[in-house]
Formats: sequence, structure tokens, C-alpha cells
Amino acid sequence: MTSTTSKQSLSARIKRELNKNLLVYIVLIPVIIHFIIFQVYPFALSFYLTFHDWKIIGDPEFVGLKHWKNLFDDEIAWKAIWNTVKFSVYYILPTMALGLILALIINSGIKFSGFFKGLFFLPVVTSFVIIAGIWGWLFRGTEDGFINYLIGFVGIDPQLFLSSSSQALLVLAGLSIFKVAGTTMIYYYAGLQSIDRQLYEAARIDGANSWKMFWSVTFPMLKPIHFYVAITTTIGSFQIFDSAFLLTNGGPNYSTTTIVYYLYHQGFTSLNLSYAAVLSYVLFFIILIISLIQRKYIGKDPNYY
Amino acid sequence: MKKVISYTALAILAIVFIMPFIIMVFGSLKEVKQAQIDPLFWLPTNPSIQNYITIFSNGIFLRWIWNSIVITVIPVMTQMIFAALLGYIFAKKQFWGKEAIFWTFMAVIMIPQQLFIIPKYIMFADFGWINTYWALIVPELWAIMGVFLVRQFLQGIPKDLEEAAYIDGANDWQIFFKIILPLSFPVVATVGTFAFISNWNDLFQPLIYLTNEKMFPVTVGLASMLGKEGNFGVEMAGATISFIPTFLIFIFFQRYFTEGITMSGIK
Repeated sequence: MTSTTSKQSLSARIKRELNKNLLVYIVLIPVIIHFIIFQVYPFALSFYLTFHDWKIIGDPEFVGLKHWKNLFDDEIAWKAIWNTVKFSVYYILPTMALGLILALIINSGIKFSGFFKGLFFLPVVTSFVIIAGIWGWLFRGTEDGFINYLIGFVGIDPQLFLSSSSQALLVLAGLSIFKVAGTTMIYYYAGLQSIDRQLYEAARIDGANSWKMFWSVTFPMLKPIHFYVAITTTIGSFQIFDSAFLLTNGGPNYSTTTIVYYLYHQGFTSLNLSYAAVLSYVLFFIILIISLIQRKYIGKDPNYY
Repeated sequence: MKKVISYTALAILAIVFIMPFIIMVFGSLKEVKQAQIDPLFWLPTNPSIQNYITIFSNGIFLRWIWNSIVITVIPVMTQMIFAALLGYIFAKKQFWGKEAIFWTFMAVIMIPQQLFIIPKYIMFADFGWINTYWALIVPELWAIMGVFLVRQFLQGIPKDLEEAAYIDGANDWQIFFKIILPLSFPVVATVGTFAFISNWNDLFQPLIYLTNEKMFPVTVGLASMLGKEGNFGVEMAGATISFIPTFLIFIFFQRYFTEGITMSGIK
């Protein structure tokens, strides 16, 4: 007797739960399965790969830390990490500065500000392939290159640009700055609009000029934006690949071989998938550390976010 | 004085930003021979559409455009639908494990997508997905960032509205379609525009999963043209055509882009 009632109430409960949350189950179960197949499993497989030799035919063979040890003896891998760090140095501050300048201009009460905001944002939505195609032509290292033609007017000799191992990475950083500054501008623009007008009034009463007002009010008030933009551009810079692939193929003399380019090269040109997986984990750890630094500082200072 | 500085800086930067696009469009309208020798060849004299004829006479280019459309439009649609549905579920429904599931999904954002490339290549080789649309469509059917945006938005909306509908006897589906979807339309549109731009412009993934020229999207196709020491005018004709869809989306949905960026970053 008691068992039948509890059985009934159980099936009634299931029925009620299904009634209440049928939508949840219908949508979420396939999504979770998809998540396991395309996110969780590859993440685990990649880690597994780093300890095995992958063969096109036959079972993978366990090789322990062989691929991880290779990393430490591989000069090109270290060069790739160093190149990526150098790229970040060339890229992060200029992107932030240019984005801030663009936002200040847009916010200064100019006419057609919506149009110019759109123009500065345009490279963000344009594919790397298009911009790289134009960039490569602009920076041709011959005398008839467009930029060489322009700098000729101020008496500078033609430069090699993409064919020079000391300049190629700089040219790629320039491309990325041009492509990404529009995003930074949008963040800074939102930040500028949220600054309390009264702060400017107060500064004006104290007799501050525009220049002083910028450094004593605007710039410090944008602190959370500076921080957020610094983190996102840093993470982005460590994943740089497209321009190195399109314009220089990692050269000349490995000077534009970045972490992701090297990963691509090891994985899909040399077909060394296990070693490429090790490199992808290196990238993962670097980005994880950057994200953890972000977490730590956000946790510390309640003024962020 | 401040105005003068603003307008001077604006003029210089506007020229720098528009120049590449002008060179692209004008360059595409120029004769083949001029392209390589003269840095000013693209200036508007004697325009011709020869480069466009050349690029379309090679049937493969239309095929690339078609491939791009297939691998872009399908994920854009499904990502919008799933963003709305999952955003609603995670914002408004109560069920076991809700927060844990959501934040597990979110944790993936911290992992660079390059880490998934190698294992996915091995998986897709097993599935027989290399050189098919599946490799670029199926993994992209939903994306957590869009879910996050819709969830954020719906959490800010008071419960009264749906509760009133519940009392009137509406079920979840009716509430979703009649209340939630119209309400969250601006956010869902943002999700769609971002998905469009990122899929249309993606180079890395198709580069790896597609090796057959016939399957290339226009990004990889153009990249293969750049690599072949082709001529600049034809390349720019291809670039201009592949730029048109992004440009139109951008013109019509610009508001969603800028709002979306602000939403995802600063809460």
C-alpha cells in the first residue's frame, strides 16, 4: 500500500518536473553532449597526445615526457615564444594609446562622430586576409613599394620591411594595431562617457587646463578600462597567427615565427601532431597565467567592474 | 584650440584608416600590368573591370563565396537560436546543477581555441569530416559567449512579466517565443552579427580542416591567391567582393557591434 503511493508520487513528481522543466531538458541535454564531444574530449585528447607518438595508422605509442623534453632543447620554440613576447611589446601599448586617442577624438564633440567611429572600427570587421593583402603591397621592400615611395619624400632610403628580419615583426605589429585599435576605441569611448561631468567642473574651477584635466581626471578615471583592455590585447597578441602566415611564413630567418605559427608549422607542415599539442599547451599556460593575474587584481580592488 | 587639435588629429587618422580601403577598391579597377611597378597606379584614371571579369571567369571563386556562405549562415542562425534559448534557461529557469553547468561552459573561454585544433583534426579525420562542411559547421552550432550575453540581459529583467504569463496559463515555449525572444532581440542580433563576422573572416580553422581547393571559403581562397605571386589588381578585386558582405552587415548593424563589445567587456 505504502509502496504504491510512493511509486505514484515518484512518477507524479517526475511528471511535474518534466512539465515544469521540459524545455530545459530538451535544449540542455543535446548541448551538454555537444560540449563533451567538441570541448571536453578534445581538451583531454590534446593532453593525452603530449605523452604519445601519434601515428596515422595504428595505436598511439606512449613516450612519456619525450615531447615535453624536446621543447626545452628546441631553440626555435624558444625563439617563437620570444618573438611572441616581442610582438606583444610592439603591439599592446600602441593599440591602447591609439584606441584612447580615437575615443578622445570621437568624444570631443566633433561633427559626424558616428561616421568616424564607424570608419575607425571598419578594420576590426575586415578579414585579416584582406588587410594583409593590402599591407603586404604597401610595405613591399622594393623601391616601388608604396611606403618606400612615401618615406622617399623625407629622404629615407628604401627599407626591406617584410624581407628584413629586424623589421618584419614590426610591420606585422603595425598591421595588428591598425586592425584592433577600433575595438580598444569602443571600450575607451564607453569609459569616457561614464565619467561624471562634475569632476571636470571641479577641475575647471581649480583652474586646470585641458592637458592637466586629461592627466588628473580622464586618465585615472579610465583605470578599469586600461586594465581590461591591457588584458584582452595581451591575450590576443599571444594568439597572433594570421598575418605571420599570410605575409611572411614565419620568416625571414624565423623572425616572425610566433607560438601559434610554430604550432601550425609543426602540426600541419611537419605532421608532428604530438609536439604541436605540447606547443598548444604552452600557449594555454601562458594565457592562463595572464587570466589569473587579471582575476587576482580584480579580486583585490573593488573599483574594477 | 582644442577643436583645432581634434580636427587635425581626426583628419590625419581618417586618411590613414580609409587609405587601405581606397587602395583596395581603386586597385581592383586597374589594369594588370600597371599593378606591380608604380606605387600610385591605383589613382583613378582609366578604370576597368577587367580584374573582376578575370576573377569570375575562374569558376572557383564563386564556389569559394558559396562555401563561405554555407559555413557562415548556418552557424549564425543556430548560434542566435541557442543563445536565446540557453540564455533564457540559465537566467530564468530553476534546475539542478544550473550554476555549475553554466560556469563549466564559461571556463572554456579561458582556453585558446588553438589548443583544440590538433585533437579536433584527429577527431574529424576519424569522422571523415576533413574537406567537408561538417568540420566547420557542427562544432560551431552554439557558442557560450552569446549565451552569456543573453543571460546577462535577461537577468536584468524583472520576473513580473513571465509570472503574469504563467498565471494566464502560458507554458515555457509560449513564454519564450512571445515574451523572451522579442525582448532579447537586440542582444540576439548582436550575437548574430558577431558570429557572422567571426565565421566569415575565420582563416585558421578552414585552413586546417580543408585541403581541397573546391572546399575553401573565400578567406583561404584569397590567401592561396596571395601566396601564388598573383597580380595585385585581381587580388584586390577578390578582396573587394569578399569584403562586401561584411561591409553591408557592418553598415546595417553597426549599433549592435559597438553595444555588443561594451556589453561583453564592461558589466
